[in-house]
Amino acid sequence: MAICLLKNITKSYELGGESVEVLKDINLQIETGDFLAIMGPSGSGKTTLMNIIGCLDVPSAGEYYLAGKEVSHLSDDELSLLRNEHIGFIFQSFYLLPYATVLENVLLPTLYVANGSNREATEGALRLLKLVGLEDRAKFKPNQLSGGQQQRVAIARALVNDAELILADEPTGQLDSKTSGEIMELLAAMNGHGKTVVLITHDRITASYAKRVVHISDGRLKLEENAQDIQDRGAVI
Amino acid sequence: MHRIFKIAGQSFDAVQAFKLRTIFCLLSVALGIAAITVIVAATEGAYKKAFDMVERFGPDALLVISGSEEARAVGQRDKTLTLDDVRALQEALSGAYLIAPMTSIGDVTVSYRNQKYQTRVIGSSSDYSNAWSWPVVEGSDISPEDVKALRNVGLIGTHLALELFGEIEPVGKHILVNSIPVEIVGVLASRGTTPTGSNLDDRLIMPISTVMKKMQNEAKYISAIKLRFVDQSRINGYEEEVKSFLRQRHRVPKGEPDDFRVISPKEIIKFLVALTGSLVVFLGVVGVISLIVAGFVLANLFLLSVKERTKEIGIRRSVGARRRDILMQFLGEAVIITTLGGMAGFVLGFLTAQLLTRVAEFPMHFSWKAFTLGLLLSWLIGIAFGMQPAARAANLKPIEAIRG
Repeated sequence: MAICLLKNITKSYELGGESVEVLKDINLQIETGDFLAIMGPSGSGKTTLMNIIGCLDVPSAGEYYLAGKEVSHLSDDELSLLRNEHIGFIFQSFYLLPYATVLENVLLPTLYVANGSNREATEGALRLLKLVGLEDRAKFKPNQLSGGQQQRVAIARALVNDAELILADEPTGQLDSKTSGEIMELLAAMNGHGKTVVLITHDRITASYAKRVVHISDGRLKLEENAQDIQDRGAVI
Repeated sequence: MHRIFKIAGQSFDAVQAFKLRTIFCLLSVALGIAAITVIVAATEGAYKKAFDMVERFGPDALLVISGSEEARAVGQRDKTLTLDDVRALQEALSGAYLIAPMTSIGDVTVSYRNQKYQTRVIGSSSDYSNAWSWPVVEGSDISPEDVKALRNVGLIGTHLALELFGEIEPVGKHILVNSIPVEIVGVLASRGTTPTGSNLDDRLIMPISTVMKKMQNEAKYISAIKLRFVDQSRINGYEEEVKSFLRQRHRVPKGEPDDFRVISPKEIIKFLVALTGSLVVFLGVVGVISLIVAGFVLANLFLLSVKERTKEIGIRRSVGARRRDILMQFLGEAVIITTLGGMAGFVLGFLTAQLLTRVAEFPMHFSWKAFTLGLLLSWLIGIAFGMQPAARAANLKPIEAIRG
């Protein structure tokens, strides 16, 4: 089943009285368990596309189905609920709360679940911290961790509500190549556990971890490559 | 656990995390609440004092003083009341269970051995102690026989007793009053100072017959009459009854003012409340202004905080926080800070009031009322001035907030 289905998605902004089309007639289907990389230069509209896939924004026209539900006409509250239940975000700059501990940061999405036991949430968070190799850092503050470690905390946070869709926006943008590799391995492992991963990047090596790649430029999806092509090209480079 | 408690927990964390903001908001709220606390305590103190005074005066009592109100200052009024008035009142007023005549002489020199002191001598019947609910704590009261026989006996106030006798037991001793030897038969309970500063315990009570005959050389006129009535609820009616009775007896023509003055419990309360009213108004203005200032300090610091924490808001929205979750968190932060400020303000107000009581002998009374009002006002400020910044935080668009 397709977890994401985008049909003729258009997004335009009013800019100085002029309408600027950032996304033009996007059609995209993402199957459950997929690992998709969306590649494109800056200004191509890839972040806008991710915002729409992540229910942070709604399209100007077209239909978007998330887990079988049409979302482009949902209220702000309903979109919040969808993000909370279905989507885990990973950002380039990690975006952890500086004044909260590692554990509290991982627990952040559980705060906005209507009910549910605190003890279970904490147990789950600690399990995830162990999974990303940071179980001994639970009481640390983010600024006491390296960049790679902070991104691992963000990954644990993305998984804590058991979201089926992980959206990673340039997750390795601020990391060195070795750490980038570790983070991508971790995302690949999550994909191996059944999570659908959508990766936004302009870096071919990062994209090479994906099973499938789509290109975006000037708001249009271009050709689709399969993972083998990219790996071949990566090898050439 | 329910979402609202988890969000309240986030508010607590933020209050702890942004310490400088917390301290500034807390202090400004505390100052306002302190002023309000003092006002409430002063108002309650004034009423309590008034109530105490009325208890002593007697809620069922009237005091009739010689001389018209307009005529002259209290000490120089003509004496218009007579012992005959007292007798007539005793026969006419069925509702009064006690009617005591009084006469008063100021600045009388009294001495015990080498100790001299100037005091006020009051002549009254054996009912004086009961008329003023003023118990005799040592020795015995003046008896009707003492009054009938013009005996040289007296009840002494604690202040005068201390001045004349020091540590010596006054009961049974003889003192000289205007060179007349007087035996002290009893000591009155201590009553302290009036709000206008006169010491109630600086007095000597003697039989009115003795005072009038031996000290004033007066057969007829007296200073005042104290009356107490059976039915306290009808005190206003009694007042009118006494007034018209005395006007008739004194043949005051219609349209002329009374040649005496009646003091009722109602008037005592009015007087005391007026006395403390000006300070309460002053503090009230100060309190309200400082609370409004506190509110603006809070609103400004919170607006800055929302700007500074835009990214945090974006992060929270991206993981599923609804607008109202953000609103509740920031409003919660404001209310937690103002609540803490309110409590600090209550403590500050309490200390200020202690100081005022000590320095100015200002009656203060603390009760749950002052505390509750302070707390409610703190919440009101937190909600009223925290709402705009919180709403601004809640209305940030997730995609814009997350870009910072």
